Amino acid sequence: MNYLEQKVAPRREERLGSCIEFGGTVGEIHKQFCSGCLKNKRRAFSQGTICQLLPATAILTSLQDCVVIVHGAVGCGGAVHALGASVRLGQFNSGDKNPKGALWLSTNLNENDVVSGGEEKLKRTIVEADKRYRPSAIIVLSTCVPGIIGDDIDGVADALKEQVSATLLPIHCEGFKTKIMATAYDAIFHSFLRNMMDGKDETEFRVYDNEIAVTAEKLRRRRLVNLLNISSMTGPDQKELMRLLSKLGLEVNMLPCDAHPDAFRLAPFAALSIGVCPTHDDYFMTYLEQKFGVPFVGGQMPIGIENTSRWLRQIAVKLGLTDAAERIIKSETDELNQALKPLLSHLKGKRVMLSAGEMRTLATAVLLQELGMEILAVRPYHYDEFGGTEIEKLETINPNIRINVATAQPFEAVNILYRTKPDLYVGHNCDNIWAAKCGVSILPIYGTNSIYCGYAGAYDVARRLKRHLKNTSFNEHLAKHVRQPYKEIWYSENPFKYILGGE
Amino acid sequence: MAQRVIDTNNRFIERPRSFCSLGGALLTVTALPETVPILHAAMGCGGSIYWNQYGSTGYLGAGYCGGLAVPSSNIQEKDIIFGGLDRLEEQVKSTIELMEGKLYIILTGCTADIIGDDVQSVVRQYRNEGISIFGAETGGFHGDGYKGYDIVLSVLVQEFIERQKVKKKNKVNLLGVVPGQDAFWRGNLLKIRELLEKLGLEVNSFFTEHDTLDGIRNAGNAELTIVVSEFYAHNTAETLKEIHHIPYMINPFPIGPTATEAFLKKVAETLEIPSDTVKQLIETETKHYFRYVERVADAYNDLDWQRYAVVVGDVNYAPAITKFLADDLGWLPELMVVTNDIDENQKQKINNVIETLTSQYPTTIVYETDPTEIKTHFWKIVPRKTDRLFHDDFSPAFVIGSHLEREFAIDIGAGHLTVSYPVGNRIVLNRGYAGYDGSLSLIEDLLTVIAAQR
Repeated sequence: MNYLEQKVAPRREERLGSCIEFGGTVGEIHKQFCSGCLKNKRRAFSQGTICQLLPATAILTSLQDCVVIVHGAVGCGGAVHALGASVRLGQFNSGDKNPKGALWLSTNLNENDVVSGGEEKLKRTIVEADKRYRPSAIIVLSTCVPGIIGDDIDGVADALKEQVSATLLPIHCEGFKTKIMATAYDAIFHSFLRNMMDGKDETEFRVYDNEIAVTAEKLRRRRLVNLLNISSMTGPDQKELMRLLSKLGLEVNMLPCDAHPDAFRLAPFAALSIGVCPTHDDYFMTYLEQKFGVPFVGGQMPIGIENTSRWLRQIAVKLGLTDAAERIIKSETDELNQALKPLLSHLKGKRVMLSAGEMRTLATAVLLQELGMEILAVRPYHYDEFGGTEIEKLETINPNIRINVATAQPFEAVNILYRTKPDLYVGHNCDNIWAAKCGVSILPIYGTNSIYCGYAGAYDVARRLKRHLKNTSFNEHLAKHVRQPYKEIWYSENPFKYILGGE
Repeated sequence: MAQRVIDTNNRFIERPRSFCSLGGALLTVTALPETVPILHAAMGCGGSIYWNQYGSTGYLGAGYCGGLAVPSSNIQEKDIIFGGLDRLEEQVKSTIELMEGKLYIILTGCTADIIGDDVQSVVRQYRNEGISIFGAETGGFHGDGYKGYDIVLSVLVQEFIERQKVKKKNKVNLLGVVPGQDAFWRGNLLKIRELLEKLGLEVNSFFTEHDTLDGIRNAGNAELTIVVSEFYAHNTAETLKEIHHIPYMINPFPIGPTATEAFLKKVAETLEIPSDTVKQLIETETKHYFRYVERVADAYNDLDWQRYAVVVGDVNYAPAITKFLADDLGWLPELMVVTNDIDENQKQKINNVIETLTSQYPTTIVYETDPTEIKTHFWKIVPRKTDRLFHDDFSPAFVIGSHLEREFAIDIGAGHLTVSYPVGNRIVLNRGYAGYDGSLSLIEDLLTVIAAQR
């Protein structure tokens, strides 16, 4: 890859051929993606969804000692009122008894700014933010309005570099630029790589007490790993992964979520980078290797029993810890399988549909299959080469599992729900309601301070599924008394009717 | 009275306490009966508004076709370069084909407004086919959620409400409570509507379960528009006056017996309702209020539940709650922080509510948008703790504001209740604080925070 010279990271459409429109079976998508004919579709009917600003603010407002400036109209960034709850929880979990929550500013662009440009206002905002909050870094997110009127956020940051004490990180996530919201992850890391990670080793400037301390630091770095967390991971998720890695004797530098910017500065000196989701971290880990020589393992999520074991094995191979890993895997899975036994009878044969980010949806489907459930349909928010490994697994189980690639678009989901009538829907925050209104029980696919990752996650998901299937009356009543906004005829139509071929 | 002037419209806002105008408009449209919104906007606007709604409106869900079900043209870079009208036309066509609705309203986002798409041309085309549809220019840079509410209702008044020459005696339109921006909008509207009905009025309130699309279409024969806000919906009221020749009256948002009595008297006077009718209603409602207050008065007095207070809120809530605390509950609202970005003339209206408190309580008024600055204002009027043996500090204390004030309340050791936007730490269903009955709920909620510690 060679994108860092450019101000803006490439769109996922170009870099990975990602798509958000597909309806068919897992067998079909696998075949079609491999032959490169998934691109350039569109919908003649679409529903409001998520742009790259949402995942960007979710990650960036969780950073410690940073201020996020959303350069745009007053509504852009408003999602942080909801996302801030997780930020607050993260701060609380790490010991702050009166957490401040997410700190962000809107440049509040108005009619005048649209005409005369928003750069001056942005400058004043940066200077005042530096003075008022004294943050270690100020992150500037560009939105649609400055993207159209042509504000040069990189130029503004450059001009102020000497004037403010915070490190400035301009990030481009204009909503109209890409259909793939996951482009945000590249945009974020792109800016950190360009503006913060110069590869200077801070320890070279540090005064150590004695030579033993110097040696200790050197030794520490041999077992220091970067763990690339994601904003849909909860505190308990992170704890579970840390638990497994510490069993391998590793010390963790966790980033980007909830991290201090110093974690980015330290990242080039780790022995290995460990991904938990290629949709999030492949761009960053690839550059960490390319630029600083830090090798990485990635390509899958540690969600599901087999996936967690594979994840541990990948890490162990890189660090020469295979024996230790096998011992851990054996003892953990033995104990887990024992614990799962009484739960599995409640789940056996229950029919499920899933919907969320690409990797999360597919990996969770594989987990539910391991728990003895039947996968009817998966709805990843987008699809690209990263999905391939999990799709292959699903294809082996049943090539006719339905797949609908869509970033939310509940009208397609509801149509499929009416046809397939699953017992359970495992979906993304804010899109579960449309399945709930069909009377289906819901397990949220991430969040709520529960565990999904690792072996503990596999157990907890099973435990929670049992609970959800034990009393299904809330959504059953709901379905009887509220209606969906679609005309009756929609339920007899092809759910993918509005997906049009190439332009 | 210490007041701090902030320059409006030309500065950033920390953690804005508002949707953008598109968000306000969308929440307004999804609150209307049998109405389907169509966004002509970038793909993220729908989601951004819904996530915002999730953390700020007391968990007001998507409803019939809000949230991620909202039809949206999701325009992309090429539409912005070549114009987005083709995409909009396709989206309107497929929406009418797919979504069940009696009225369709197109709302534009920043992108569509800047490139200047002629939405009206699409509207005309479908109107000619007999579809009930109109469009409103609501791009986020036009202003906040309150403005979006006013914009879309003004267009509704202009395009949808039928013109009627003959007005109906004692029929009124009710405006000024903004869906979503006020988490308690449903309860507040119902409570005010019921009061007006008890006064013998027929009320069109747009958004309650008693309102219908036909009722709204037929709102042009009202004889008066009652606005329960010194700021919101004024353009809509003005449009009702200009187009439908319906005069309007502006009132502060009424919470508690003192404010509500004044409100009812003013309405009765304007509509020339016999003074006996209004007197009787006030008597009945006051009796209702004290029937409950009487039996919490034991604990209020025995357990010393009077509090110093800081009130933080928008132009509707801040003065209304301050007035209720000072004039009815006997609390000590030392500081009132108004969080809207407003100009000097507008500030004078707020100041007036506080200057005319019946209790003459000397509340300090501050205009401030940014949550972290509230602490600074607070410590300007409250002496810091000293190491002296005797110290008259700000306790016992209570902060009534949004969930953004929780940290501040904990810092100063105060109780905390979220009332104004953003409301992310409470669930709101049918609760409302307006009027007599609403203020009973407010007493309940305030004192429960204190009693919960027992």
